[in-house]
Amino acid sequence: MILLGKIALGIVGTAVAGVGLLCSEGMIEVKVVERAPEVHHVYVIAPAMLVPIGMHFAPRRDLSHAAAEIKPWLPTIRAALEQLRDTDDVTLVEVKEEGQHVRVTKEGGSIVVDVEDHDDTVHVSTPIRAISSTIEQLAAADPST
Amino acid sequence: MRKRLCGLGMICVLAGLAVTALAALAVTAPAAMATPTERYLHVKVEDASKGESVNVNVPLSMAEKILPTINKGEMHNGHVKIGHADMDDVDIRALLDAVRTAPDNEFVTVKEKDQDVRVAKSNGNLVVHVRDASKGGQKVDITIPMKVVDALLSTAKDNELDVSAAIRALSDAGDALLVTVEDASQHIRIWVDSKGSQE
Repeated sequence: MILLGKIALGIVGTAVAGVGLLCSEGMIEVKVVERAPEVHHVYVIAPAMLVPIGMHFAPRRDLSHAAAEIKPWLPTIRAALEQLRDTDDVTLVEVKEEGQHVRVTKEGGSIVVDVEDHDDTVHVSTPIRAISSTIEQLAAADPST
Repeated sequence: MRKRLCGLGMICVLAGLAVTALAALAVTAPAAMATPTERYLHVKVEDASKGESVNVNVPLSMAEKILPTINKGEMHNGHVKIGHADMDDVDIRALLDAVRTAPDNEFVTVKEKDQDVRVAKSNGNLVVHVRDASKGGQKVDITIPMKVVDALLSTAKDNELDVSAAIRALSDAGDALLVTVEDASQHIRIWVDSKGSQE
């Protein structure tokens, strides 16, 4: 019985470690509310680490084109993400039009995009660390490196 | 065997807790470590006739780090090349050097039927005022600290402006309203302060 308990403890510990590792880059949150033609609610929250992990399984050939295009801008993107990580929370861009509202903010360790118009409301929150990891995965897919 | 399993279980639990704690720290630490004296460049464009507005807030430290990484077109390593053709052979460096060393004064005043242009140096700032009645009463006011102008010209090459140095100088300068443009429907403002929002 004690042996079973210890095995269970080991499994729980491993599970906690796994969850901790999986959540180490924060969570991606996507919320979409469609108001027309029908009302739909979509809410997804997933560990951000899944994105760079998923990049490993994406076809190399498809990624190489994107990697080549992004290559000249990698230093700029890296510098921007590094500075964004360190900066205070800030609304980076806000655009308001009649019936439309777009906002890009830095909140905590995440970049948050909120879009609202007559028909839809979209909220996407992505941890900066996950963006960095994904960009590095993409950069690594460049065949010339 | 039991001791080993027990030890293994404890190690797994401790590792789990440690990873969870590190993950939490990684998510919250950057915000806690952010410097309190961050300064921002704000741009606000409002069009009352269309009910549109665009607000952009850029941390100056970010701009300072990003600019040197952009090497495209006339921009390289935080410097911008200015072609002589664009300047109509005006030695802008000599011109601004003369302005810098001169005492506070009004340097240029142009008054026409519909236009009024004034360029002056006042309280360590280069000030430009333009009023244009022909364009719906357009008003343009530009106030640039001379330190920023100096920084712009701090590069050794004649046909280059050091934008990175200017951003650094802007960071060190106090809160300042740099540019306002107003006409019948549009209102543009560019300013620097230490607030992360335009509220």
